[in-house]
Amino acid sequence: MSGTITRVSPSFPNVPAAQYFVVRLRRAALLVVVAALAAGCAGGPAESGPVTLVFKHAKILGPSDPVPGLLREFEKRHPGVRVQAESLSWNSDDQHQFFVINLEGRGAAFDVMMLDVVWVAEFARAGWLLDLSPWVSRAELAPHFPSTIEPATWNGRVWAMPWLMNVGVLYYRTDLLAKYRLAPPRTWEALVDQVVRVRGAERDPKLDGVVWQGRQYEGLTVNALEAIWANGARVFGADGAVFPEEERAAGGLSFLRALIVSGVSPSWVTAADEELSRRHFGDGRAIFLRNWPYAMALFQAAGSPVRGRVGIAPLPGRVGGAASAASSGGAHLGVNRRTRHPALAAELVRFMAGADAQKAMSVGGALNPTRMALYRDPDVVRVHPDFPVVHDLMLKARPRPVTPAYLMLSTTLQPEFSAALVGVKRPRQAIEHARLRLSYLLEGLR
Amino acid sequence: MTARARGAARAGRVMLMPALTALLVLAAWPALWVLWLSLQRRIPVFGIERFVGPSHYVFLAGDPRFWNALEVTLVFTFVSVALEFLLGLAVALALQGQRRGRRLAVALLLLPWALPSVVTGRTFEWLYHPSAGLLNYVLGGQAINWLGEPALALPALIVADVWRTMPFVALLCYARCLTIPVEIYEAARVDGAGALATVRDVTLPLLRRVLLIALLFRTLDALRAFDLMFVLTGGGPANTTETLTVYAYRSLFQTLQLGFGAAIGVVVGALVMLVAWAYLRAMANEEATA
Repeated sequence: MSGTITRVSPSFPNVPAAQYFVVRLRRAALLVVVAALAAGCAGGPAESGPVTLVFKHAKILGPSDPVPGLLREFEKRHPGVRVQAESLSWNSDDQHQFFVINLEGRGAAFDVMMLDVVWVAEFARAGWLLDLSPWVSRAELAPHFPSTIEPATWNGRVWAMPWLMNVGVLYYRTDLLAKYRLAPPRTWEALVDQVVRVRGAERDPKLDGVVWQGRQYEGLTVNALEAIWANGARVFGADGAVFPEEERAAGGLSFLRALIVSGVSPSWVTAADEELSRRHFGDGRAIFLRNWPYAMALFQAAGSPVRGRVGIAPLPGRVGGAASAASSGGAHLGVNRRTRHPALAAELVRFMAGADAQKAMSVGGALNPTRMALYRDPDVVRVHPDFPVVHDLMLKARPRPVTPAYLMLSTTLQPEFSAALVGVKRPRQAIEHARLRLSYLLEGLR
Repeated sequence: MTARARGAARAGRVMLMPALTALLVLAAWPALWVLWLSLQRRIPVFGIERFVGPSHYVFLAGDPRFWNALEVTLVFTFVSVALEFLLGLAVALALQGQRRGRRLAVALLLLPWALPSVVTGRTFEWLYHPSAGLLNYVLGGQAINWLGEPALALPALIVADVWRTMPFVALLCYARCLTIPVEIYEAARVDGAGALATVRDVTLPLLRRVLLIALLFRTLDALRAFDLMFVLTGGGPANTTETLTVYAYRSLFQTLQLGFGAAIGVVVGALVMLVAWAYLRAMANEEATA
């Protein structure tokens, strides 16, 4: 099915199959039992014979899974070591829950884990991650995109290594823009003008302007933050104040609301996730789309109605605001603090995040590496011709706020952002409410 | 009491012990533990663990998100259970009056009830799809934003819930209908009762108890509604579909505020027990008058 590629990129917002949440509560009870058992078994006798490392990662779906090959390569280089890969559901919330229950239960059933970038600070603060500073120097992180390093080095130590990269991008219809001699818009204001012009001339009621993700979930946090950043506002000030540029933050939300009211975006973006908006654009029914890089391969696949007619550009900025402000996403690799083989586990992380392994991941699978040089590597570019463009976008990407309370922050912001988009609250009011609630919830949690 | 009766009573108590112990371990103990948890501020990520007394409940009393979730829960419960009740009853009576194809009808009726809620959620997601959905197509190519419009999202979820659980009420009532002796209907006919009078004076009174049971089950389920909201809207837009259990889930499992989430859980538990008690009382009265 066409949606599978989404799950390859383990960015937090990609939740095309949220229905698996349903079984979660029941499964949670089971996991508690499993965690207790695992904790009970952990204190076994000192190992004799070969060492086994367990690598827990999200299911890698897509054309091929390069992970097993890489692990065999690691085993070859470290005789006497066996690596057992165990995959989790590709649903990000399921993975989070699995890790939390096991790590809080002091389980040592796995050594190396794949983490969504927004969890790294949380897990580090909780004392669940092994401090990798003795093995991984700052210099070793330097070849990775800057926005991946900030989460990896929360609070001055190295907690994880960047592995997979994601960034918000603007897709546009090259045929439509060329027809009206337009270049990809650099500001949202210009984008609105282009939509009005193209739709006015095309006179196609089925052609929408720009589609994005406004459903109340992590994707909304990302889209709204991008709008707020573009308008020159931040979530946290240097002193920890929430939304220090209140007016500008509200202005970002007002702009999103205006897109819906003016019809530049269809009203259903307030219920849209990545896949809903991706399919609509992929059917040729929108001029612009905000999404992640994974969608390009689907647009260019055989049989796609928009094949050969899609371009990729930086997300626009705002007049009088910031230039392009795209959010980053992706996954890091970290080590369980209760591992019995810290040095070997750290070695496995360094190997998997290394240049050779990341190259294999991007050539063999459809995954975006975090190492900047790979986007210019001829072997990689042959498979992914759009990588040089994507590189420039990723270079400018901004991480979502790096804080151990990220999930609390995001789930508090979502209803307020949603209320502003659907017109239940004025943007100013939504920002004010978010601010009040966050000051209360985050009290003493830094 | 004779010695023999006392011995029998003692044996009875001994035999009750295993069941009572199981009940205590499986129900009472976790409930007490959650109650205890709700009196603590406990956030493992930040290493916070201290007793705070009833302060979570005080916060909830002034928390607009909590009151909103309570309202959503009650509206959802009342409307969906009422609709399920009326439609289920109507379907049961229609089945009873049907001459041919009853087995097929029952099988079809079972389908929505037998489907996993995940599948139901996915199905409705596509039905409600703004541009490719069947519903908007049937309505003449409208672009109604079923799940993204504050006024429509909750009704859309209620419709999905009614579709899914109405068969439960219908089948319970239908099963009861099958046990009503034909003689009673014949007697009613002899007495000159019309179809309407037969339903009003014969069928409905005999269905009362089973209807109460069906209502009890459905109300308790609806008060804990979670899955449809989670799959279809995530509680949005603007929290217009966030029920108490969704709020509890977000606090408890997603953001790991164990004490605070437990407090919401306790409120849900209390609400469910209150409603169950009211129903059981109504059923006891029923028994007394019957």
